[in-house]
Amino acid sequence: MSTTEYIIGSGEPPLVTGNHTFASVTEHICGIPEGKQPTWWYLAFGGALSLLMVLAGSIGYLIWEGTGIWGLNNPVGWGWAIINFVWWVGIGHAGTLISAILFLLRQRWRTSINRFAEAMTLFAVMCALIFPAIHVGRIWVVYWMFPLPNQMSMWPNFRSPLLWDVFAVSTYFTASLLFWFTGLIPDLATFRDRARTKIKRLIFGFLALGWRGGNRQWRHYELAYLLLAGISTPLVLSVHSVVSTDFAISIIPGWHTTIFPPYFVAGAIFSGFAMVVTLSIIARKLYHLEDFITLNHLEKMNKIMLLTGMMVGYAYSMEFFIAWYSGNIYEQFAFINRATGPYAWAYWIMISCNVLVPQLFWFKNLRRSIPVMFIASILINVGMWFERFVIVVSSLANDFLPSSWDYYSPTIWDILTFIGSFGLFFTLFLLFIRFLPIIAMAEVKGVMPQAKVEHTEVAHE
Amino acid sequence: MDSNEKIYWRSPEHKDGLTKIDKSDLPHHDPSDIDNRWSRRHFLGIMGASVALATTAGCRRPVEKIVPYVTQPEEVVPGVPMHYATSMPFGAANYGLIVECHEGRPTKIEANYNHPSTPGGTDALTQAALLNLYDPDRSKTVRYKGNPSRYDDFIAFYREQFDKLKQGRGEGLAVLSEPLASPTLKRLKNKFDREFPKALWAAYEPVNDENIITAIQNITGQTLRPIYHYDRADVILSLDADFLHTESEHIKAAFDFAQIRDIEKTGTMNRLYVVESTYSVTGAAADHRYRLASSHIGAFLVELVAELKSHGLALPDMTVKHNVILDKEWIIAVARDLVNSPARTLVVAGRRQPVWVHELVTLVNRALGAIDSTVSYYKMNELSLAKTSHLKTLVESAQAGNIKTLIIFGGNPVYDAPHDMALASLFDKLETIIHFGEYYDETGRHATWHIPRSHFLESWGDGEAFDGTTGMIQPMIAPFYDTRSDCEFLSLLATGQDNRGYDIVRETWQSILSTGSFEKDWNRILHDGYFTGTSTGPERFKILDKALSVPGEIESYGRLEIGFYPSSQLHDGRLANNGWMQELPDPISKLTWDNPAWISPTTAKESGLTNGDVVEVTSSGAALQIPVWIVPGMCDNYLALFLGYGRDNIGRVADGVGFNTYILRTSDNMHYTNRGSFNKTGYKYDLANTQDHGTMAGRPIVREASLEEYNNNPNFANEMVEHPPLKSIYPEYDYSKGYQWGMVIDLNRCIGCNACTVACQSENNIPVVGKDQVGKGREMHWIRLDRYFTGDAHDPQIVHMPMACQHCENAPCESVCPVAATTHDKEGLNTMTYNRCIGTRYCSNNCPYKVRRFNFFNYTRELPETVKMAQNPDVTVRFRGVMEKCTFCIQRINRNKQRAKKEERALRDSEFMTACQQACPTRAIEFGNINDSDSKVMELKNKPRSYALLGEYNTKPRNTYLAKIRNPNPALVKKGNESAQDG
Repeated sequence: MSTTEYIIGSGEPPLVTGNHTFASVTEHICGIPEGKQPTWWYLAFGGALSLLMVLAGSIGYLIWEGTGIWGLNNPVGWGWAIINFVWWVGIGHAGTLISAILFLLRQRWRTSINRFAEAMTLFAVMCALIFPAIHVGRIWVVYWMFPLPNQMSMWPNFRSPLLWDVFAVSTYFTASLLFWFTGLIPDLATFRDRARTKIKRLIFGFLALGWRGGNRQWRHYELAYLLLAGISTPLVLSVHSVVSTDFAISIIPGWHTTIFPPYFVAGAIFSGFAMVVTLSIIARKLYHLEDFITLNHLEKMNKIMLLTGMMVGYAYSMEFFIAWYSGNIYEQFAFINRATGPYAWAYWIMISCNVLVPQLFWFKNLRRSIPVMFIASILINVGMWFERFVIVVSSLANDFLPSSWDYYSPTIWDILTFIGSFGLFFTLFLLFIRFLPIIAMAEVKGVMPQAKVEHTEVAHE
Repeated sequence: MDSNEKIYWRSPEHKDGLTKIDKSDLPHHDPSDIDNRWSRRHFLGIMGASVALATTAGCRRPVEKIVPYVTQPEEVVPGVPMHYATSMPFGAANYGLIVECHEGRPTKIEANYNHPSTPGGTDALTQAALLNLYDPDRSKTVRYKGNPSRYDDFIAFYREQFDKLKQGRGEGLAVLSEPLASPTLKRLKNKFDREFPKALWAAYEPVNDENIITAIQNITGQTLRPIYHYDRADVILSLDADFLHTESEHIKAAFDFAQIRDIEKTGTMNRLYVVESTYSVTGAAADHRYRLASSHIGAFLVELVAELKSHGLALPDMTVKHNVILDKEWIIAVARDLVNSPARTLVVAGRRQPVWVHELVTLVNRALGAIDSTVSYYKMNELSLAKTSHLKTLVESAQAGNIKTLIIFGGNPVYDAPHDMALASLFDKLETIIHFGEYYDETGRHATWHIPRSHFLESWGDGEAFDGTTGMIQPMIAPFYDTRSDCEFLSLLATGQDNRGYDIVRETWQSILSTGSFEKDWNRILHDGYFTGTSTGPERFKILDKALSVPGEIESYGRLEIGFYPSSQLHDGRLANNGWMQELPDPISKLTWDNPAWISPTTAKESGLTNGDVVEVTSSGAALQIPVWIVPGMCDNYLALFLGYGRDNIGRVADGVGFNTYILRTSDNMHYTNRGSFNKTGYKYDLANTQDHGTMAGRPIVREASLEEYNNNPNFANEMVEHPPLKSIYPEYDYSKGYQWGMVIDLNRCIGCNACTVACQSENNIPVVGKDQVGKGREMHWIRLDRYFTGDAHDPQIVHMPMACQHCENAPCESVCPVAATTHDKEGLNTMTYNRCIGTRYCSNNCPYKVRRFNFFNYTRELPETVKMAQNPDVTVRFRGVMEKCTFCIQRINRNKQRAKKEERALRDSEFMTACQQACPTRAIEFGNINDSDSKVMELKNKPRSYALLGEYNTKPRNTYLAKIRNPNPALVKKGNESAQDG
């Protein structure tokens, strides 16, 4: 990997290494789902399924017994469920950001990672969506959050940020799903063409929507892709902004903060990229994708993490400044209490993981070190989980009247539900690896040197 | 789930295993428990019974004619509650009540304001007494030697005994009774005496006023009880007397005390000095509080007497040696204050103080000119008086073998008698013991016969208030089980006849109401609930020329003094199986479901103890393991123990809660002892409190000023917060039309007694959730009493703040609810639509006052069938997953609005009250229409003291507070927060 080849005249390191031809790319990527899955896949799938059962069991017991099985109490009405929701939604940011915003910005390196980043987004958003649905007291009427016409003309309350969440997250999910699926079409057609069994041929044929790879199709396809990218881009920014209004709209010190929307988006990108890095390190190792996901890709992502990490760090310090500057005693207390109060341990975990750890990436050798970035990316996601914990719990636990202050601790059911959500995530992810192309073959081919050589002018990246 | 075996539970462990009582394991099977097998035979039986019941529906109401209080619908109208006057006997006291009944079920207790003992409201205990009626663990059946029996068998047995005993003129017969503060019971007692002149009669209660009455007997030769008029006293000195909360006649005391603290009305305020060992509700209300061990309070009084004499007061000379180090400045200041307002001052000592202190206090009050001004003395019948010495005589007689038959008429002496009397083993030696009580309790288990006793709400009877006014006890419902009322049982004892309570009480009243038309008068007093014809004025008395029993020396204690106190929740233990009281946070410690020993922070530090550490307390040869709780403001080297907990086999609520402190209490040391020690055991014990943080963190929550500051700037409360102009981004709703409901809570009147909390629980069907849930911070009370410590960490002051939904006009909870389940109505109420609520808890998160309560579990699922009858049918019982909170008693608002509408008129001011307002003994809560500028609530809202908590957030709460004013003595103010603690 250390050999760095340069495209003559461009000065940019090649995005795909290993001297691949178009055929070898197809062979390599298609080989993963077509071939026999390695033993670890079965072990991992078994583990993921077990965790999924844990999730199902935890939710079942929750519905049977009531929200009381969680550690919630009177001042702290939201706990791990909402933290997990925000955390998973945050993780779900990288995929669409990579596919949409980087696409519009002509960042060609995105092609190697966009497919599974998008898949990860979808699965993370699915995990996220579980939590707001199950955290309510009466799960059987949760559909009242939707504006369903009814004989009582009873509509949801459009002033409530929770309702905005419903729209924001479901819109985001829908757009991400369409975007992901659109991107898959040429690759699905490849799968169809290579299918050896009739069932596979029928399924992939159906999913490929009659793709033939003709010029007109490509033109339409690329226009559609561009449009979808355009539609998705504001969604990337809006979804976490809206999620942040759950807090920002409220009156509670520590929540009532105008900096939340950009700060949440930065944090979401931060954690999303961290998750992409974690997963791509594993995937490139296990499926020998070093040629496609090169160190250069990883380094670029680490740079983004460095940037967004500093953005959240800025937000953390800005919150303190504004609290002091506002002269509001409740606000001031809320922030001093975060750093020194009963949840100081969580606050300092958050600061260490989110502000200090990314500083490693100032150094090129650390930025390009697989073990360092692997550990850092995990720590960043730990830190981002604690960021939500600090925001949700410490603000609620110590608000206006000290008489109602209380300490929140999770129960085993909070923990199992969270762990279980990884079961869902990994089950879906492993099924994705097993059945679909984890790297966008058609797009990767477009950024290979061969593609350059054959055209004097680059058509559409 | 086994539907016929409803259980209460305190914790999941408890619920899941421990208390699901396997009936077969219990020694005695109770025949009244419904068998659960659904055989054909059983089914037919039930069906037959149902048909029989259906045809006799309405039989639950008594056949005897009782008279409704105010309104008399032609017949019972379903849905329209009836109100009846009755009264509740409580030791030597009698509280006048109005009881709300729905279709023949009493559901809510209110005070009868015309009764002398309940002028302002009730206390928490009285409110909770309702739940005892429906207690599924009450004794339901007569037991002979522990086995279920029938009342007829007992009558047969007793008649035989009766004849035998009568021949011996009562030789070998003894009765241990509760105080008989009732004309009918006294009449029956006289009858009993005529039949059995040689029988021994003793009255005992573990918490009694023996010392007070004995002292007055000693110096006047008469049996008198002091009644204090706090509303006439400008300066009050309380010596270990929690007169606002646990002493006798505390409801009247709280009302009177609040009257004179109404600063706008009186123009000034009284001043209260409290010298006490343990932080009490009265101590929290004090302007100056002095921490002093109970045994040292006598020394304080001796020094005070010396100081008062230097002002020329006629007081006896005494030489009492002591080496208690006292704050001289404090005593000088108090003495000066006392003599400066002649005849408007009052010294009051608590029942825990020894006889000589009370003798001296009586003389001090006389010298101050307080007698007949701020304190009057009323004649007391010896029978109304519970005395530990009575019990002692009885025990001695029994030990001497002079007692063969012992009748225990109420009470639970095996549990609550002084430990050194070893009643349990003594009782086992007696031939026959007949126990009459509401529970098959510790005493019942040692008795030959146990006779279940009726609750006062299902009895006929009468009771005497302190001034002789008679309170009538009329049944609100026919007895649930085969029980007998006090009158019925005593009548049986005295005559051998099983007469009906109604006839017995009428017989008494036929002699009292001998003039005029009996039926008319009888109906009137039943309607009113009380009869003043029997009342007498205060007694005149002379002080006998007799030496006081002042000791020559006051012993100083060394390492530890242990004090015994009635529990603020369970009193002496009689409310142990009452979930409302068990879950009621203590006014000072905010603890529920337990009675840890209180210690001061200094003592805790010296002994290396933290909250919940278990210590082993040894005293008088007994040892008790009990956790400690640190209460700032406690006297150092002092351990306060609370009575009434640590029960076994009483009921599903009481069992296993807390620690039985009676085992350390002996007849010589009923109130405190310095012969005790404690050691840390190293164990930890979980305690469930409802408030972790005692400080206001420098926030303007309870706004407080001294009288001087208030006079300089009456508007101080509003000036404590500066804020920009308040503007809402939403268009403001026009609330200028129709009724607009608002509330004012006067923090200067509130004493933190919890009456409002229980009243609200009773009115609004608020579930009891158990210790485990309270420990998790999930208590459900809609109105809570926030308690904050202010000032010095070791010797703080306490302020209380009732906190319920503030009904904000710009309610933060409303805008965040995604399904619009909490909305505003046009009368300014923040309403909850339970049906619509999906339970996101977002509203609770966004409530700055954190007054919303969430049903984390289905808390009412296992409500016993009988307790379901206690529920108010006007209020929805909430299901799991639903948010709830104070509604300003919307059911009362609507009921009265409907009535007014039918009568084609507008609601009058104060036509109805919210439950908290109605129960509040100090009238600290006012509720009404803020659109009516003449309403009482507006009058209060217009006071300069009025402020909106967190009003700077533009929440526009409809509930506002009146700031608290204290009246410190300027001579002591500069001492500031220095600890006034003896060495």
